[in-house]
Amino acid sequence: MRAIVSIVKRLLASNKISFILTALVVLCATSSGEVVLSNGNYTWLLAVLTPFFFVFYDFKKLMHLGASKKDYYAGCLISYGFLAFCVSLVNTLIHLLIDPLYPAKTVINLMDVCKWTENGIVAAGFQQMCFLLLVMVFLHVLLSMQAHWYGWLTDAVLAAIICIFTPIAPLREILSGFFQIIMLNGNAILHIGVCLLLSAALSLVGLVVLKRKTL
Amino acid sequence: MIELKQVTKQYGQAAVLKNITLSIDEPGIYCLLGRNGAGKTTLLKSIAGYQNITSGTIQVDGKAITTSTLDTGVSYIENFARHFNLPVRKLLRLASEVNPNYDYDFASEMMDRFELDGKKKFHHLSLGMKTMVSTIICLASNKSAVLLDEPVLGFDAIMRVEFYDMLAESFRKHPRIIIVSTHIIEEIAKTIQKLIILDKGSVRFFDALQSIEAKAFSVSGLQKDVEAATKGLKVIGQDTVGGLATAYLFDTPPEQTASLEIRPLSLQDFFIQMVGHHKGGAKR
Repeated sequence: MRAIVSIVKRLLASNKISFILTALVVLCATSSGEVVLSNGNYTWLLAVLTPFFFVFYDFKKLMHLGASKKDYYAGCLISYGFLAFCVSLVNTLIHLLIDPLYPAKTVINLMDVCKWTENGIVAAGFQQMCFLLLVMVFLHVLLSMQAHWYGWLTDAVLAAIICIFTPIAPLREILSGFFQIIMLNGNAILHIGVCLLLSAALSLVGLVVLKRKTL
Repeated sequence: MIELKQVTKQYGQAAVLKNITLSIDEPGIYCLLGRNGAGKTTLLKSIAGYQNITSGTIQVDGKAITTSTLDTGVSYIENFARHFNLPVRKLLRLASEVNPNYDYDFASEMMDRFELDGKKKFHHLSLGMKTMVSTIICLASNKSAVLLDEPVLGFDAIMRVEFYDMLAESFRKHPRIIIVSTHIIEEIAKTIQKLIILDKGSVRFFDALQSIEAKAFSVSGLQKDVEAATKGLKVIGQDTVGGLATAYLFDTPPEQTASLEIRPLSLQDFFIQMVGHHKGGAKR
């Protein structure tokens, strides 16, 4: 357990660039007009940037220090959970405390767009956390595959799904339905359940990918 | 214990390791020798589970090793390994935290002995110092098998001597299997117990150093005398110049006669004769 805790600390410490970039965007982003985007939305950037560092920067270095793949992966998952919680907390606080002060008529926060706030702010925060966890685990798995042929195949399949499913109405319904479930979902229990299940499933896929990962 | 059974590794059509069967049973410092491209790094990486082999099996302490092995019990460090850009002391501390059996006292002692500035960040170190930090991390890990891939690259003569001392001391404190791949043959001879010579992906030699001392000789003289003296013996190489010949043996030396000069082979000469592949003069 000590090894995993150290790895988590190291992963978070070496994720400085993601923290700085996210903070800069959150603090500096401005929008004008009657409808504006909440700066809290930009906190999600951290969830997108983090897996890049964990996969491409930290993995080899931790292996060279003698960490096991098992501890590395456990450390990554715990870090994703922790960061999802932190990002969700910050965005929720921004939504509660800063968005109402914004001198505009309508402030758009993705928590509202995704209908999560319909379930109360605590449930919304938890829904956001689970969704961000899913995003990070998905990106981790996808990025881990990139050194192998099946990574490129997955990229192609994902691109094909979006390209084919978007213009054809019945397929578009399916694609839209999928995003309704994992993102734009007002049913907190269903949403959290689906996100956690998909995160768990993707974590298992990630473990298989990790087992094939060479150095 | 490291056990390789019929290990083959291919990159496309090219076989880098060819049907290697090798069993390293006892703790000791083993030297892995081979020419550039002989397959040393591939072999070490395969034992460490850093890459998969094409066929065969590798076991360390009875555990099958592949990239799927999440905890191998093997510590491997390659030359030019990259680390976090942290101060050296912090890096060694971090290594101790992620390795359950890490000997931090040993690492700290070695850091002082090699006059590594604990406050200096890894990227600011010289090549030799970077390699030294990697080597200390690897040796202090105390895993059951330690694999060092060309650890003395970038070391000056004094650092190399210190390194061999460190290697011996580390082994004395924690006897285990340590395999060192190197090109500087003679220097490491005092430190190692056994030698593995890899040639074109196959193990050409695996035995104790004493066997080389006892059996590796050069026999020089007139060609007909040399041929007569070495008939039936294991000749690993031969040079001929005019009517004179030198045969390199790995066998019981022939009887000393007035017409023959018999000399023990140095480790380097033995290695050259084993893998040198002379053009023209060599006979195997």
